[in-house]
Amino acid sequence: MNMVPTIGIETHVELNTNSKMFCKCAVVETENPNESLCPTCLGLPGALPVPNLKAIESITMLALSANCAITKNGMFHRKNYFYPDLPKNYQISQFDLPVGVDGSIEIILNETKEIVEIERVHMEEDTGKSIHKGSGRIDSATSTLLDFNRSGVPLVEIVTKPVIKSSKEAVSYIEELRQLVIDLKISEGKLEKGNLRFDANISVAQEGDNELGVKVEIKNMNSLRSLEKAIDYEIKRQTKLIESNEVIIQETRHWDEDKEVTSSMRSKEGSADYRYFSDPDLPNMILSDEFIDNIKKTIPILPSEKRDKLSETGLSISESNYLSKSEEWIYDLFLKTQKITNDTKSTFNLITGELQGQLRKAGTEELPEWFTSERLSEIIKMINENKISFTSGKEILTNLIKNEIIPTKYAEDNNLIQDNDSDEIAKIVQNVIESNKEVVERIKDGEEKLVGFLVGQIIKSSKGNINPSIAKDLLLKEL
Amino acid sequence: MKKDIDIKSVAKLAAIKLTDADEKKFEKDLNIILEHVDALSKMNIEDEEINIHPLGEKLNLREDVSSEFLTHDEAMSNSPETEDGHFVVPPSLD
Amino acid sequence: MNIANLSISEISNLYKNKELKPSEVYKEVFTNASLSESIIHAHLKLFQDEATEASKLSDERYAKGNPLSDIDGIPIAIKDNINLKNHETTCSSKMLSNYVSPYDATVITKLRNNGVVFTGKTNLDEFAMGSSTENSAFGPTKNPWNPEHVPGGSSGGSAAVVSVGSAIASLGSDTGGSIRQPASFCGVVGFKPTYGTVSRYGLVAFASSLDQIGPITNSVEDAKILYNSIKGHDPLDATSIKESTVEIPTDKNAKIGVIKELMEEGISDESKKEVEKTIKLLEENGNKVVEVSLPLTKMALSIYYLIAPAECSANLSRFDGVRYGIREAGATSYEMMENTRAEGFGEEVKKRILLGTYALSAGYYDAYYGQALKARSAITKDFENIFKEVDYLISPTTPTPAFKFGEKTENPLEMYMSDLCTIPANLAGIPAISIPTGLSKEDMPLSIQLMSPARTDSSLLEFSETIEKLLGFNQRTLLLEDMK
Ligand SMILES: [Mg+2]
Ligand SMILES: [Zn+2]
Repeated sequence: MNMVPTIGIETHVELNTNSKMFCKCAVVETENPNESLCPTCLGLPGALPVPNLKAIESITMLALSANCAITKNGMFHRKNYFYPDLPKNYQISQFDLPVGVDGSIEIILNETKEIVEIERVHMEEDTGKSIHKGSGRIDSATSTLLDFNRSGVPLVEIVTKPVIKSSKEAVSYIEELRQLVIDLKISEGKLEKGNLRFDANISVAQEGDNELGVKVEIKNMNSLRSLEKAIDYEIKRQTKLIESNEVIIQETRHWDEDKEVTSSMRSKEGSADYRYFSDPDLPNMILSDEFIDNIKKTIPILPSEKRDKLSETGLSISESNYLSKSEEWIYDLFLKTQKITNDTKSTFNLITGELQGQLRKAGTEELPEWFTSERLSEIIKMINENKISFTSGKEILTNLIKNEIIPTKYAEDNNLIQDNDSDEIAKIVQNVIESNKEVVERIKDGEEKLVGFLVGQIIKSSKGNINPSIAKDLLLKEL
Repeated sequence: MKKDIDIKSVAKLAAIKLTDADEKKFEKDLNIILEHVDALSKMNIEDEEINIHPLGEKLNLREDVSSEFLTHDEAMSNSPETEDGHFVVPPSLD
Repeated sequence: MNIANLSISEISNLYKNKELKPSEVYKEVFTNASLSESIIHAHLKLFQDEATEASKLSDERYAKGNPLSDIDGIPIAIKDNINLKNHETTCSSKMLSNYVSPYDATVITKLRNNGVVFTGKTNLDEFAMGSSTENSAFGPTKNPWNPEHVPGGSSGGSAAVVSVGSAIASLGSDTGGSIRQPASFCGVVGFKPTYGTVSRYGLVAFASSLDQIGPITNSVEDAKILYNSIKGHDPLDATSIKESTVEIPTDKNAKIGVIKELMEEGISDESKKEVEKTIKLLEENGNKVVEVSLPLTKMALSIYYLIAPAECSANLSRFDGVRYGIREAGATSYEMMENTRAEGFGEEVKKRILLGTYALSAGYYDAYYGQALKARSAITKDFENIFKEVDYLISPTTPTPAFKFGEKTENPLEMYMSDLCTIPANLAGIPAISIPTGLSKEDMPLSIQLMSPARTDSSLLEFSETIEKLLGFNQRTLLLEDMK
């Protein structure tokens, strides 16, 4: 029998607002605990929440970008559960009237476009941070330390429908979502900083079954790698259980990064029934058509739209996807340069290979202002027209990153222009054959790798101005 | 509405430890009150719209401007137990 | 002359004319407090030294002829569920017995800016849950008219201090009648403003959609003065409304409706008589008075006893021993919370939290909380419709005058019934005031309640001044006279 996994993903995205969701405390990055607090985010008696406009703008922008329907008459609910890092012992969240519903996000999987359906996009507040003291394992902790700096930081929760079919698709979805929030400039989108945190709901059923299998929730996956591994592990675990006719328990499981297994978590006490009810401190939230239209106007080009534009230049889907997830300036540079050179492949290769490589080595993330698409095009054109060798092209590129040069002029000044006159080259080829007769014999006997040696000799005696491919062609003809 | 209060599980949700005597007393009192409020179930109010604000006011949002409020010491001033600038509680199970 | 029986405007005028100094009035109210406290226990904390010092600054301001406002130097007491920076806010609960607030409520900031010096914090039913101040963890407050009787609640302390003259005025909070009912029991004026006109920021929440801070005073005029200095939109409270006063007639053209359902069974003859007496005076004044029916007021108690506990069950979740308040030991943090809440909360508070938790829990939400919200909408609509016919509604404030201690502690419903007439105004968010009208056979104060449409607070206060004059009742408790 064939087993089919079904996966749904819940992602919490931390927004990049100045102040917290329901109070004016700054969102801070500090090692010092309990520094950015007020009565509201510390849950002191008598304090009240007032929502952050920027956060509502951000979530609306995300919901619209994910093709969601916007709830115009929405509200906030209280989600009740007792936990020491939750100051009020309820989280202000959204329940049946989230900001966005029924959306979709396009992702790329194996050279094809796929659609991941989105169930809901809702606004909520973050909790504080617990540090479990003791042996480090929760089970044997001796006490828990609490830092509430993170308490009240705005979070957008995005929940997919159970439509994801593999760990690879899950990873691709998170990559897409990450790019989306970065392009919308609503979050830093840094996974390593926990700006995006995801849980996965996984079930396995026999192919052809109309009903989904028992759902298991996996928590504590801190990277794309652990997301992929945890899903694969869980699919295997559940498949094995089904095949041996064992029961799968509906539960929450913890991904153990070190052992690379999922293990059952003891459930939060009293968490089974959240007793959601509308927060009486926060009146109905009306998002007017005018508000929504204004947000629409501020939405920049989306990753999927970028891909479409890139594909029009002739790039493959995965190449387009790669560029759509690079920095904005790389995307712009490619499009502008490609327009001038009209050579998609060389432009893509030079930018994503040589240029990005050199920048990475140099540890810089930005290009100097003189590094224009026009100048880059000159290099690409010279290489394509065999005016300079690829090696020379690299040299010019290196220089262009460091100094304000004009590539064509630089090539001339530094004798990098190749001699492409066949007659001239033929002479040199002839000379090299004459003076390397022994080598020529060995080539004729089958030692083909010595061809390269002779090409090298040809280029050497031409002082490097010969296009190596022309030299090689001529040499082979002569031999 | 039938009254089948599982007072133990309600107390668990509310995080209030009850003695056996408490359980009996509260179960009795809650039943008296629930009996009284049962009148509501006979009201025909299916279509009533619900406004969170009693006057039907809508939510006003706040500009995203940050400001300082409590110093670290003020925030910690009522804490029953602290360590290294943190609040401390007995181990919490995840 | 007992200075503490003067009105705010009278005192203010004496200050301005340099016939009286704030420090003298503070001395007087603290003397009254030292005499009365051992009998009525209305204060949880008196700020005698601090207030005496601060009143001298007020003296100086008047001496220089530049007081901060008309209430500069007026001694005002604060219910102990309103936060005052660097002072304890206990809510009369063991839970917060050691809690010192690091911030001021918005109403406190406003009064400070007006030059008010606070005299102390007053007793209440724990977390404002009760109608007799018997539920205070620090002992009950007694009624200054007769210490065998309750002062009402939950703002029993705030009503008693004004009644006995250990403050000129006070602030209370009203969720289902907690300002009006004790004001009625203690023979003073209590005003619950339109929901959202006074900021709740810094008021320890009981039921957020019903709570409202308001004044308890010797006269309607004082209530108006105090209300005007605490009202106004507050950006720290998302339920606070933008100023938008609606005016209705306040002269003989004002039309008054008598709520039929609040003049029937369950209401004592004595209480009814006060309404009838007032109606007669109004008719003599030229006002038209008609009987109106608001059948849903019969449901008000049921609606209230689902909505208030549901909201309070979540509002009081934050009291868990983690960040402030008392803490009981436990092996895990959850056990610590469970034990802390068992130890810190009194019985009535636990009862309401459990009731609210149950009403919100899976499988019951729709039948209880959901249904109550819809019923609340329906009752609000009924009020709106009635106010198309009449300008004001009149009823007794309470079904009976102040009852005796222990009289209504057996069956929870009996105590809840004492809020029968006051709860509807909280559900509808409309303003309501209790005005003293006379004394019962047992010499306990009686009163009437007047309600008006949302946002007509100014008109309600103005019309209430007329009624107060028509009634001409200004008898005071003789407690201190007897002692002096
Ligand atoms: Mg969430
Ligand atoms: Zn804060």
